Amino acid sequence: MFEKNKLSSPIAEFNGVSFRYGNGGDVLKDIQLTLQPGSFHFMTGESGAGKTSLLGLLYMNHLPTRGRVRLFGKAVDTLSRAEKSQIRRQIGVVFQDYRLLNHLNAFDNVALPLRIAGVKETEIKRHVSELLTWVGLEKQIRAFPPELSGGEKQRIAIARAVINRPQLLLADEPTGNVDDAMAKRLLYLFLELNKLGTTIVIATHNQNLIKHFKFPQLHLSHGHLEYIATPATRSGNTTEDN
Amino acid sequence: MTKATDIPFAQDSSTFFICWISMLMVFLSVLTLAFALITHTSVENWHKNISGSMTVQIPTFTADGKERGDLVQTDIDAALGILLSTDGVIDAQILSESQMDSLMAPWMGENASTAELPLPKLIDVKINTDQLPDLEQIKADFAEQVPLAVLDSHRLSLAELVTLAQNLTRLTGLILLLMLTSMAFSVIFVTKSGLKVHRQVIALIHMMGAGDFYITRQFANRSGGLALSGGLIGFVLSLPVMTFIAYYLGNLTGGFIIQATLSARQWLLLFTVPLIATLLAYLTAAYTVFSELKRSL
Repeated sequence: MFEKNKLSSPIAEFNGVSFRYGNGGDVLKDIQLTLQPGSFHFMTGESGAGKTSLLGLLYMNHLPTRGRVRLFGKAVDTLSRAEKSQIRRQIGVVFQDYRLLNHLNAFDNVALPLRIAGVKETEIKRHVSELLTWVGLEKQIRAFPPELSGGEKQRIAIARAVINRPQLLLADEPTGNVDDAMAKRLLYLFLELNKLGTTIVIATHNQNLIKHFKFPQLHLSHGHLEYIATPATRSGNTTEDN
Repeated sequence: MTKATDIPFAQDSSTFFICWISMLMVFLSVLTLAFALITHTSVENWHKNISGSMTVQIPTFTADGKERGDLVQTDIDAALGILLSTDGVIDAQILSESQMDSLMAPWMGENASTAELPLPKLIDVKINTDQLPDLEQIKADFAEQVPLAVLDSHRLSLAELVTLAQNLTRLTGLILLLMLTSMAFSVIFVTKSGLKVHRQVIALIHMMGAGDFYITRQFANRSGGLALSGGLIGFVLSLPVMTFIAYYLGNLTGGFIIQATLSARQWLLLFTVPLIATLLAYLTAAYTVFSELKRSL
C-alpha cells in the first residue's frame, strides 16, 4: 500500500518551547523534544496536561509563545505560507473530534488530502477504496458522517490522516471510540506505516495499547514533558528528556 | 464517484445572493447598454442629417398670391446681412435657379424649370456644429428686419438633440460603472461572510496542506459559477423587455428619431455583459479570499 520514507534529519525539534493560550498560564513549559524519522511514541498525561497543545504545535496550528520549533529541519516561525502548506502535506492528523466534513461522503473525506496534493482521480479512486476496505468501511463508502457511528467516523478520520502516506502522523486519541480488537487493528495500520518510515505520535489514555505495543512514552504532566523509555524501544527512537 | 466541493457552499444561503445580484445587474446593465447603443446609432444617423447647414426661405409671393417683386431681393440682402454677422455661421448663399432645379428634379423631372413656379428663394447657411449660432437671436433679428423670412431650424434642434444624446450615452457609461462597482462590493461582502461561515472547514483544509490558491480557487469558482447562472438568466429576462421598449419607441417616433434596432456586433457586445459579470465575480472573490487568507496564521 505504501512506499518507504527516506529521511535522516529530525522530523521535529522543540528547543525550550513554552505555549499559552492568550493571556492564560503556560500550558507547555520549556519543552525539549526531538522526534527522529521512523520513531513511534505514545503521548500520555492527564486531561489538560497539554497533549493536544503539543500536537497542535507539531502540525503548526499554533506557534510557540517562547522557544523554537523546527519541523523537517525548518524553523516554523520563519516559514512562508507556501512553505507551511508544503510541510503540512507531509503531516497526517487524527483529531479527537474527527473533524470530518459532513457534506462529503466517506470516500470524499478520505480523498481530501490527495485532492489537495493534486493526485489524479484514477489514483485517488484506487487508493481510497483500498484503504476504506482495509479499515472495514467498504460498505460505507458513500455514507455521510452523520449516518455513521463514532467508531466508523474515527476509522474514516484515521484513513484520511494516513491516505497521503505522511512523514509524520499525529493522532489524538485515535482509538477512543472503537473496541479493543479494532483499536489493535488500527494500531497495526500505524505500525505498518511506521515500518515504512513514518514518524508516529499517538496521544492516548488506552493503557492496554501502551502495554501491548511497548513504545516509549512522551508523558506530559502540568505542562512538563517527561520521556519514559520502554524495553521495547526501537533503535529509531531517540527522544530527549525535559 | 462525483467530487463535491471541499467547502460546503450549499449550506451557506448567502452565496446565492451573488446569483441574484448578478441577475439583477446583468438585466439592468443589458438594458442600459442597449439604450446607449441605440442612442449611439441614432446619433450617428442624426449627424448625417445635420451636415452642418440650415436653410432660410424668402417667399416670392405674398399670402394672398401677389408677386413681391424687388422686395424679395431686399429681404435676401437683409437676411444675408443678419446671417453673415452671426457667430457660428460660416457662410450663407442664395441658391441659384439651376441649384433649385436640381433640388426639384426628383419631383418635377430633369428638364423642368422652377423659374415660373411660386417657390420661395432659399438661402443655404453653413454653420459651425462645434459652436452653434444663437438661433433665438437670428429669429428675433428676422422678425425685426425680414418678417417674412422662414428659418428652417429643425436641423439646429437636431444638433442640440445630438449633444443631449451624447451626454446621455456618457451617463449610461457612468451608470454601468456604478452597477459593476455595486456588484463587486456585493461579491466582497458575500465572500467575506462565506470566509467567516466556513472558517473551521478552511482551517481544516489548510491544516491538510491546502495552499491559499487551492482555497481561493474554490471560492472564485463558486462565485463565478453563480454569477454566470444569474447573469444568463438576467440576460434572457432582458430580451422581452428590450423587444417591448424597441416596439414602443418605434411606435412612438415612427423610427424617425430613434432607430431601435441593433447590429450583430452590438448584440455580441450585449452578450458580453453576463460574461463580464462572471469575470468580475470570479476575480473579486479571488482577490478577497486571497487577501483575507494572507492575514490569517
